[in-house]
Amino acid sequence: MTRIDSHLHVFAKVSAEFPREPTPVCPPDREETAEKLLAEMEANGIDQAMLVQTGGTEIKHHAYLLHCLKTYPDRFLGIGLVPPNLSEPEDHMDRLTDGTGIIGFRLSSIGGPRDPFTRINIKEIKTYPIWKHAAEKDYVLWLYPRAIDAHLLQHLIDAFPQVRIVLNHLGICPGKDKFSWDAKGRPRIETVEYNPAFHTTHRLACFENVMMHISGQYAFSNEAYPYRDLARWHQRILDLFGAKRLMWATDFPWILEDPGYGQLTGLLKELLPDLRDDEYDDIMGENAKRFLRFPNRA
Amino acid sequence: MIRPTEAQTTQWEEKGYLVFEDAIQGDELKRLQNVFDYWAEKCKPAWLDRIEAGEAAASFYDIPDPFDKDEIFVDLIDHPSYYGSLMAFTDDDLILLGPQVRTVPPGPVCYTGWHPDVPQSNPLHIKVQVYVNDVEPESGEFAFVPGSHKPDAGPYSKAQRLAAMPGHKRFPAKAGTAIMFNSYGWHTAMDNHTDTPRKSLILIYEKRTSGRVDPKRFASIAHLCTTPERRKLFCLEE
Repeated sequence: MTRIDSHLHVFAKVSAEFPREPTPVCPPDREETAEKLLAEMEANGIDQAMLVQTGGTEIKHHAYLLHCLKTYPDRFLGIGLVPPNLSEPEDHMDRLTDGTGIIGFRLSSIGGPRDPFTRINIKEIKTYPIWKHAAEKDYVLWLYPRAIDAHLLQHLIDAFPQVRIVLNHLGICPGKDKFSWDAKGRPRIETVEYNPAFHTTHRLACFENVMMHISGQYAFSNEAYPYRDLARWHQRILDLFGAKRLMWATDFPWILEDPGYGQLTGLLKELLPDLRDDEYDDIMGENAKRFLRFPNRA
Repeated sequence: MIRPTEAQTTQWEEKGYLVFEDAIQGDELKRLQNVFDYWAEKCKPAWLDRIEAGEAAASFYDIPDPFDKDEIFVDLIDHPSYYGSLMAFTDDDLILLGPQVRTVPPGPVCYTGWHPDVPQSNPLHIKVQVYVNDVEPESGEFAFVPGSHKPDAGPYSKAQRLAAMPGHKRFPAKAGTAIMFNSYGWHTAMDNHTDTPRKSLILIYEKRTSGRVDPKRFASIAHLCTTPERRKLFCLEE
């Protein structure tokens, strides 16, 4: 059975070869390399992974991601970013995906009316050209929407049933001013227990082209690993999406210190202990292999 | 008090729902619509802020604390059109758990899927949904699976398109219609493919059990509960 970590990040020190935008958590001299990731994967029986761009949206910022995909073509696929104010994103998308191993793009801002009662014309939504081009070119869309944008997704996904959609991190949509970095350098998203996602992103389970990530627990939980306060959310997501439409991920490198890569490879058995073996295999990699079309390893 | 007919009682027991057409009508309906729209508009900015903060869902909107907003919301709790049936089906031992004064925006995916509200182990749990505007087919109308309230019914699946639920019945209806249903049964609101939001009140009741009586819950409207029956209904006294 193939084991795939379906969402994580790698980055290099800032250099002329690998430019990126530093942040307080990712200063210029920090690196979390593909080789470091591969060592963790090898140690824990993980075969392949999806590298998700971090460190900037411009083409040049994707240099290290492209390097990793070229160096390890049978181990990784990639998800790119699109500059937020690009009115014609098609060329950017095509350049990044042209034989590179990048198969899609991550969106956090959707860009439509704030009021859910506004009559929606999807062509007026800011990211409409990205969705349209993804439909035309079979690109995957990787969604981590802001809370204010969650109501727009139903309209776009309904209009583009051919686009493969992956909802990140349990479908949670971060609220304004609810994001921070914790003392261990991990993203922290303040969430309410009765989460609005139950009535927005989780309802998108009715679309067969939508998958959900089982990941990011550390950012939402109020408990230490194994985050048992989120067990009901996991069961609910399993009930709605079914085991064929969930994908496990670690969100490396943020989890390296706490709880550690190895711990996260065992999280499913902690939070969904009643999974059958075939369901476990699906969520731990078979679904990602099929839906994201990972190559067979050499 | 208007007690249910024999036919209504049989339908309630067999199907798990009753429909009261024109339960609210005339001037009372107009006043309800005006009050509903006034408070929905007034409270909306705070709801939008809560959506943005990740504290409220964008897929439906409830007017907060409706009893404190207008007496008509209190008067609908024991409205004569359906109160007699509520009492009959709970052996005259009824309590209110709360109201939801709800607007659902149009959209291809409804805010909820098929579900029962409570397990069979819960005391009898009844909801009354009162349409505030005309609810056409495909506009977020209430739907129910007749007979699904029975202990031996099902199993039913959550993971499907709403329209695919076998044997379900949809309830498009005029403003002022009240639909009473047994909350053990599987129900939902359908997707809304029109341009018109669905406006309704969802009134939640239960057969009285000691663990569910909270005298503080509706203490702020004690002055509106001047009869023993109302004080009992609103849990203000045993």
